[in-house]
Amino acid sequence: MQTTQAVAIAQRQTRARFGIDKVFLILVLIYLTVPLISTLVFGFTGSHGIDFSTLGQIFSDKDFAQTLSLSLELALASTLLSVALITPTIYWVQLRLPGVRPLLDILSLIPFAAPAIVMAFGLVEVYSGSNMLINVLSLGLVPLLSNPPFNIVNTPPLLVCAYVVIALPFVYRSIDASLRSINTRVLTEASYSLGCGWWRTFLTVILPNIWPGIISAALLTFSTVMGEFTLSSLFSIYTFPIYLNQTGQEDPHKAASLSILSFILTLICVLAIFLLVRRRPGQQGEIELTAAK
Amino acid sequence: MQASADKVTAPSAPAKPTSRWSRPWGYTLTSWLGLVPFLLFCLLFEVLPVVVIIQNSLVDSQSGALTLNNYQRVISQTGNLHAFQNSILLSLVTALSGGIFGFLAAYGVYNLRANWMRNFLVSFSSIAANFAGVPLAFAFISTLGVTGFVTVLLHTWLHVDLYNLGFNLYNFWGLALTYTYFQIPLMILVTLPALSGLRPVWREAAANLGASQWTYWRRVALPILFPSIIAAMMLLFANSFGAFATAYALAQGNINLVTILISFAVNGNVSIDPGLGNALSGGMIIVLLLAVSLYSIMLRRISTWQGR
Repeated sequence: MQTTQAVAIAQRQTRARFGIDKVFLILVLIYLTVPLISTLVFGFTGSHGIDFSTLGQIFSDKDFAQTLSLSLELALASTLLSVALITPTIYWVQLRLPGVRPLLDILSLIPFAAPAIVMAFGLVEVYSGSNMLINVLSLGLVPLLSNPPFNIVNTPPLLVCAYVVIALPFVYRSIDASLRSINTRVLTEASYSLGCGWWRTFLTVILPNIWPGIISAALLTFSTVMGEFTLSSLFSIYTFPIYLNQTGQEDPHKAASLSILSFILTLICVLAIFLLVRRRPGQQGEIELTAAK
Repeated sequence: MQASADKVTAPSAPAKPTSRWSRPWGYTLTSWLGLVPFLLFCLLFEVLPVVVIIQNSLVDSQSGALTLNNYQRVISQTGNLHAFQNSILLSLVTALSGGIFGFLAAYGVYNLRANWMRNFLVSFSSIAANFAGVPLAFAFISTLGVTGFVTVLLHTWLHVDLYNLGFNLYNFWGLALTYTYFQIPLMILVTLPALSGLRPVWREAAANLGASQWTYWRRVALPILFPSIIAAMMLLFANSFGAFATAYALAQGNINLVTILISFAVNGNVSIDPGLGNALSGGMIIVLLLAVSLYSIMLRRISTWQGR
């Protein structure tokens, strides 16, 4: 009696695996791919069937290569900076200063309360005006950074810093969640008892265990920066999305092919990062271990 | 502050007495030094811009005197008030649609057996979630615009004219449809970790006790996931409330949203001066603070569930 019931439940669950969630997943995938396919078709069909002439025009435009490489550099710099700045900090706080967590939580929430457009407005006001309150609060760093020789007003370095802030909630959430899903304390203790120092523990024990979280954090930062329009337009820095907007407003077919191009380029970059990460020895087992927790 | 700190660290408290070295390390000066780079970065590029906006929104831009005049102008001018209504409604609608569809899709992804498929969908979602802004607006214009591919396809094959039926990509509902495109994948990305936190043991235990699939969801899984879902929806709300580029590229300023008004202020549009721009930003911060507070309350409840 007991066994047949268990079997029945097991069968029901196996059947549920092909149930409503799969239907919704397929619907969502359709919703997510239809605009991409339509854009592809719209961009590459002229009055006489398939027409790749818009691509040729785009590739021969020197603004295209210039803005694209600038955006790639900004994206790479922001990704590296955010992961390098945030990961050790969260680990450090979990291990040594657990009481500081609320402060970190609040700092990671501020970008929600002040989105890109507000942040851009604020950054322009901070670094282009001279405000006594700000000068004092920043310990004299704002006057240093907003005047020569380190004038960072409306420059790519300031843009990178702003991007790191915009991506902070996602990076923090993702890395914090994966750090909490492993037993940091026990792992560190074990590593210390085997004679490892803090950095070695961090790099060889903690990092491999939270790699999935870092991957998703890096992916989010990277793709955010590649498509970010608000900050660069308010800072008047000529990045790829700005070029896209300018060109696209003139010619809808060019706009479509540029959208597809930007999607494909982000896709390639993201897959490249993904493959690079996956090739690390012993990686597979650790991802599964973390996922199984 | 002290009380909330105790509350957060409480779940890990039972482990503490067993670890010999947790006490002697304490809160020494070197411990704090490890925080300096991050804190300094946040101060310079995150906290100070917000401080400046709040300060400037409370100050008259000409005389420099303290005043609430800027906020008063936000409330008394119907255009500004209407912009807030539009932005809030748009964010609510897209947070709900994105949240529901995104959660169900995330559960579908979570149930996938093939690891490569799940990895593929996660990276696809992370690209799609950030396929916002200008490229997204253009993609939707190419799809559902007046001469868009799907519009034309429906017209020639099924003789359905979307724009005669009252659909319009360039108004509120068109924008909502477009925003949902980045909301769903974001929801998938955010809820997947929470779903992976559901242990198979719980399902097995529930099944052993005779619970049906439905009972398991209603009594075990959903109560555990509830804070994560609400937190994620608040995140979607904030995400769409602050979105600017998509609306700008799609409707060219024809939809009255708070972010569009603020961009007018930054670009020196005559109708909106810096003081009003600061007050609009301040108003955005206030609305978002409500969402963020709910978000962090929910996060705290997650940490009591999954805290170790």
